[in-house]
Amino acid sequence: MDNIIIILPIIFPFILAILMATIKFNEVKRNIFVSIGVILNLIFLITIFYMFGEISIHLIKLNEFLDIYLKIDKLSIMFSLLVAILWIFTTFYAMEYMKHEGKEKRFFTFFLATLGVTIGIAFAGNLITLYAFYEFLTLTTFPLVIHTDSKEALKSGKKYLIYSFIGATFVLLGMILLFSITKDITFNAHGILPALTKENRSLYLLSYVSMFLGFGVKAAIVPFHSWLPAAMVAPTPVSALLHAVAVVKSGIFAIIRMSYFIFGAKIIKELHVNIFLSILIVISILLGSFLALHQENLKKRLAYSTISQLGYVLLGVVLLNEDAFVGSLLHLINHALIKIVLFFCVGAIMYTTGKTDISQIRGIGKQMPITMGCFGIAAISLIGIPPTNGFVSKWYLAQGGLTSGEMIFPAILLFSALLTALYLLPVITEAFFKKGEHTIVKEAPMKMLIPIVMITIIVVLLGLFPNILITFIQQIASEVI
Amino acid sequence: MSIIQSFPLVIILVLLITAFMMPLIKNTKIIKGISLVSMTSVMILALINLDFVHKNGEYLYRIGHFNAPYGIEFRIGIIEAMMGLLFTFVALMIIWYSIYSIEKEIKQSKIGLYYLLVNILIGSLLGVVYSNDLFNCFVFIEVGTLASCGTIIVKDKKENIKATLKYLIMSCLGSGLVLMGIAYLYSMTGHLNINYIHAELVKCYLIYPNAVLISIVLFIIGLGVKSAMFPLHNWLPDAHSSAPSSSSAILSSLVLKAFVLLLIKILYGVFGMDILNHFSVLNIVLILGSLGMIMGSVFAIFQKNIKRVIAYSTVAQMGYIFLGIGLGTNLGVSIAIFHIIGHAVTKSALFLLAGAMIEQTGHKSLAQLKGIGREMPLTLGLFSIGALSMIGIPVLPGFISKWHLSLASIAAGDTILIVVILLSSLLNAVYYSPIVINGFFGEENLQGKVYKSKSKPLKELMPVIFLVISMIYVGIASRGIINLISLGLM
Repeated sequence: MDNIIIILPIIFPFILAILMATIKFNEVKRNIFVSIGVILNLIFLITIFYMFGEISIHLIKLNEFLDIYLKIDKLSIMFSLLVAILWIFTTFYAMEYMKHEGKEKRFFTFFLATLGVTIGIAFAGNLITLYAFYEFLTLTTFPLVIHTDSKEALKSGKKYLIYSFIGATFVLLGMILLFSITKDITFNAHGILPALTKENRSLYLLSYVSMFLGFGVKAAIVPFHSWLPAAMVAPTPVSALLHAVAVVKSGIFAIIRMSYFIFGAKIIKELHVNIFLSILIVISILLGSFLALHQENLKKRLAYSTISQLGYVLLGVVLLNEDAFVGSLLHLINHALIKIVLFFCVGAIMYTTGKTDISQIRGIGKQMPITMGCFGIAAISLIGIPPTNGFVSKWYLAQGGLTSGEMIFPAILLFSALLTALYLLPVITEAFFKKGEHTIVKEAPMKMLIPIVMITIIVVLLGLFPNILITFIQQIASEVI
Repeated sequence: MSIIQSFPLVIILVLLITAFMMPLIKNTKIIKGISLVSMTSVMILALINLDFVHKNGEYLYRIGHFNAPYGIEFRIGIIEAMMGLLFTFVALMIIWYSIYSIEKEIKQSKIGLYYLLVNILIGSLLGVVYSNDLFNCFVFIEVGTLASCGTIIVKDKKENIKATLKYLIMSCLGSGLVLMGIAYLYSMTGHLNINYIHAELVKCYLIYPNAVLISIVLFIIGLGVKSAMFPLHNWLPDAHSSAPSSSSAILSSLVLKAFVLLLIKILYGVFGMDILNHFSVLNIVLILGSLGMIMGSVFAIFQKNIKRVIAYSTVAQMGYIFLGIGLGTNLGVSIAIFHIIGHAVTKSALFLLAGAMIEQTGHKSLAQLKGIGREMPLTLGLFSIGALSMIGIPVLPGFISKWHLSLASIAAGDTILIVVILLSSLLNAVYYSPIVINGFFGEENLQGKVYKSKSKPLKELMPVIFLVISMIYVGIASRGIINLISLGLM
């Protein structure tokens, strides 16, 4: 119990959430309280990583399977830092944005609790802990999704819950089957399973596929994707953070953990299951892009784009070679940064003008040049034009595709990049190159603008100097493959 | 012989004797006091007894002066002692809850009668659990049946009378079948004591295969009726939903469980694995249990009355227990008994909370209970924890039962059962989550509701809080409890 300190970044947001729910704050005090809270949490994280490095702790061991076990490795450092940093930006953004949504107290309560849960997912050291936090993630994000409490929101929320519970049930099925093979489900690089034999093959296959699809629900793989566009009724900070970072990326994070730390690349290759899964993923990439083309609503367009981009990340995961895996992790980070900027820009337009559709934003580039400028930079990065960060991650993914000997994957990536351009560039041309009505609109308030600009700067910097990140990610990749 | 060995008998006597003091007293406060004190004292006795059994192992306790084949005896093993503690604890919490609110559901003049019935009911259930003599069990069953009918009809409404008649008829049918089963066994072996019957039966079951088979089926169906095995459950939703809330809690968390325990005792104590395997009757229990898990939940989805939802959920949860019994392995039965414990504390809390909502708002239907989370935040909050256990969130007992049942089905070679278990837990989510969601969220739902306007005082919710805490404890301490149960089953 020496390492008990590592539960601090998980527990602390919960304590903040409880305080948030019980104490009455006025607006200023509440903002100070939340921002200090999330910044402190990042400081705790960094301190722990700095002082302890890679450590682990058995929190509660109920029996051989119900063992709440936390373990920090490089992958959890990467994911938790990403989450904690983006959470801070979102907090500042949300302070301003949530003014027009109302019910800020409820929002920030669950917002903080979700931070704790997401860090819990990052720190989970075995499958059951991951599963527990994964279930909690559904429960804490649900009130955020239905924040407006309208009929439509409740309907979308219901959809979200049903999809999530079905996913969790699949995960549970896979986990039970897995547990009947091996009594140990602790994460370990290269996997923990005994070698594949003829007898246990079908059990392995069933277990892997059901867990992949189960976690895939949160990662919005195509037959299970429709909750994600529906969940766009949530306030923009929620859409941005949860549906570009926390929820969908947790799904992918769980798939990475399950694939590389339970099964191991070798066994998955022997199962030949990744070929079939990659077909599903390619469908996700293409279908997401095609559907995005037809969306009038900006947020929905971004949501479908998320489905497609998550496909890139998953493709990198199932190709099972080092380059692809590096590309996948890079794209996980880059997509999170890019998508959050895009969402924030759309949210800024909604906040200042109330406009939500692409046809309404004609000429808005002249009135909100900074916002739309950032949108443009982010869009270019997402398309993957060098020297942006989107290009770097796609480069590695394409390399990975070639390494695995399939020419088709780089071709699909290129084609999808084209589609990405087709659905994002019209937004920019509408905004900058068409004349709109002469209403005078100003930029969004500073609290919203600064996070947008800062994340955009990070996006650009990561495109220009990707080496620090790549070195770190290559270390992770070389450990697991 | 240690004095502690006589505690089970003392427990039953205390309950029965105090029961008959109650009608003599006019002051309801004193009646409630007696009820509380008697239940508290028997709970302490049960606790001491459990500790004793845990240290010294199981024992047989002779009642009267005759030795076993002729006289009646109690058999107190770890499981019996655990159940004694569980029953008295849950009953105590329910009585504690009821003393604040019972006037709102039944007439002042019936209060004495009500607590009399409750004490008799708990006493007879414990009799069923403790006794090692089949005919003695039957007598306790009959006493318990009549007392439980009484706790429903005491409300004196039209629907109660209808529900009680249905319950009474089904129940009498059940006890009739059990009696016939006992008669078959007696005519074959000449004994009523479980150990003696078993010893004789093992020698002679090949001589009378049909008679043995018939008696097993009689017991399964007879006790199946009483413990709401699908499709013999149709009396349960009416009875449990129309009864006063405290009675519903007792009926679904304790009464059903005593009959299931008797079924376990008869199947594994009287007949034993050899005979059961020879006739492969456990498959009946397994299939009916799986059907109940699915169908109970499906029925629950379509209910409009909150208490009927919980009642149908009981049918589904009993299915889990029958599934565990039907697997026919030590692990399966251990989990069945663990589920009895987990479900008893969860379901009693859910019924009491639903009762609190109905009592404060006057509404029963789910449509009218929307937005209740704003008016009664603590009540619905506790309800949510119970619902989460039913849905199967890790660490809570519902999840642990499901997990172990799945593993037990893999071990028993019936992998397909996992699908049934998971499907059923998904269905649980389908009907429990709308109650919670519509209670806490939704613009239309919350319109015109004033925060905490109808909440019950904390004092009156204390017993439910204790039940919820004990539920979480059962989840956290599951390893110890399951080990203890399988030790007791050896």
